[in-house]
Formats: sequence, C-alpha cells, structure tokens
Amino acid sequence: MCISVLQLFYSFFKSLVGKDVVVELKNDLSICGTLHSVDQYLNIKLTDISVTDPEKYPHMLSVKNCFIRGSVVRYVQLPADEVDTQLLQDAARKEALQQKQ
Amino acid sequence: MVLLRSVPPPTEGVRHEQGETTAVLDGKGLGTGTLYVAETRLSWFDGSGMGFSLEYPTISLHAISRDLSAYPQEHLYVMVNAKLNDEMQENAHDDEDEEDECEGITEIRFVPSDKAALESMFSAMCECQALHPDPDDEDSNGDFDGDEYDVEEAEAEHGQGDIPSFCTYEEGVSGLRAEGQATLQRLEGMLAQSVANTFHMAGVRTDETNGEFDDAVEVDAGSTVAGQFEDADIDH
Repeated sequence: MCISVLQLFYSFFKSLVGKDVVVELKNDLSICGTLHSVDQYLNIKLTDISVTDPEKYPHMLSVKNCFIRGSVVRYVQLPADEVDTQLLQDAARKEALQQKQ
Repeated sequence: MVLLRSVPPPTEGVRHEQGETTAVLDGKGLGTGTLYVAETRLSWFDGSGMGFSLEYPTISLHAISRDLSAYPQEHLYVMVNAKLNDEMQENAHDDEDEEDECEGITEIRFVPSDKAALESMFSAMCECQALHPDPDDEDSNGDFDGDEYDVEEAEAEHGQGDIPSFCTYEEGVSGLRAEGQATLQRLEGMLAQSVANTFHMAGVRTDETNGEFDDAVEVDAGSTVAGQFEDADIDH
C-alpha cells in the first residue's frame, strides 16, 4: 500500500489546524486567517479572515469565514516557528523510500 | 465551459434549494430567483428561465458575508475563477471590473430573503465542492504504480458515503483502510513529536493529550525547536 504526497500534506495541514496562515490563490488573492479545517483534497476552511489587498477585493472585507477550493491554492504561508521542516523532509523522504519498496 | 444557460435547474442531487434569493453578479443585480446547490453544479434561475449554472471546479472560494457595513445585506459570497460578464450582460466592463480583468474572476452574491438559511447554503456548497476534486491533484502526486489509494472508496467502505469529510481533529480519517491508517498514524506520530503536547490527531494519542478538542489549540512553539533534534538518531 502506497501513500501519496497529498496524504502526507493532509496530515501536515491537520497538525496546523488552529494556526494563522496566509493562503495565496492562483488568481493572486491572498487571504490571511486561522486554519479551521482541511480535507483530503486540501480544500481549506479559514476563520477570522482578512484580505491582504482589500482595495482589489472589497467584497471580501465583509467575510469572516470561507471555504477555499484546494486546486486554486498556489501557496500556504506558514509561521516559520510552527513548522518543523526537518521533520517534514524526513517524512517525505521516508514515504518516498516506502513507495519504492 | 462555465455558463450553461440552456440547461434547466438540476432535479437530482439537490443538497439545498433556496427560493427568494437575489443574485448579484459583479455588482449587477439579476433579480430574484431560486438557488440550487446540487451535487453536479450550482444553479440559479429567476423562474422565467433566465439564469446560470456554475461548475464547482471553477468556484475558487465561497463564504458567508455578515458585515452589514461592507454590504447592506447578509449573503453568500462566491468567487468564480472565470470571467462571466461576456455571457451575461452587454455592458461588461464597468470601472470596478477593470481591476479584475487580468485575474479573470467573477464575484457573485446570493442574497436570500431568509438569512437563517445562509449556514445551510454554505455547508451544502462545501459538501458539493468536495465531490469535485481536481483530477490533476491525484495524477501529479502519484508516482506510484500499483494500488492507488482511493480515499472515496475508503470512505464508502466505512459507510460515510461519497462525502470526504473535513478533518478538524478527532474525525475524518476513520474511513482509511488499516494500512493507510497505520501509515497515517506513523506520519502523525512523527509530526506529533515535533508539535508535542496538546494535539489529539485523528486517533493518534500523544502522551500528553489535551482533553479539549477545539479547533484552535495553543501550541508551545518552543518545544518544536527543541524537539526536532531529539530523535535525530532514531532509525525508523
């Protein structure tokens, strides 16, 4: 049984629920908020959101919580001290080895 | 194709139907009609046959808007990853649209007369969005040949139907097969060592499990830094 990279990042994002993140979409909109939940497709729900460019997207100002489709996410910016990159690299490396066996 | 003007409202798989709902497309009011949140597509029709449908993969995000100082009525906000103006109206480009031109997005508001329905509308859209994952996501991550991990199949086996569930904490991954769950636990065990104390992640208990399962959980960031070297020599 193999596990995809998607599954690895699903676990990773689950561990970040409750943290403040910035989600940058492929259409250049950036949304800052608290990670409420994530699903297997990395669809993201954020709470207490704020838009980093409100002049461009004034309609978003009135929104507190949102659901973001996983496929439109370009980046998820994380606070550096919340992420153990060493561990993530190890996990990814181990899973890659696991898949080859 | 985003707009399907000639397609009638869906009759099957309608998760939520909300009448007396005004549609506002990029600031232009389209009148009052009925919103259909169906498993196949999101549709709105004004009863005289005029309306539009949206495919879920084109919906970048949706949200409930409750701040009346920003917009005078509570509504469901939907951002579509496409420009719809050409199909819908003659005067496509107002001043406010010029800012969106390069991104090619459309902002739609669905304003129901019954504001209490907003939560149901939002939830129904979340569920339907989860039914339409991008096929590219699976292909781009799959460098494996044999058994492809089918999340939906795993969910179905566990009787949760075809709705992938959002994982907040204690829920979500119970539909995994035994091997998948073991792998997930191992992954999360590795992650738990870094994040330390207070997380209870989907069946994985750390030694210092916090009894609270709220979404917002405080994490001692200091322990993250200290913890990353503790198991450096452990051969998994």
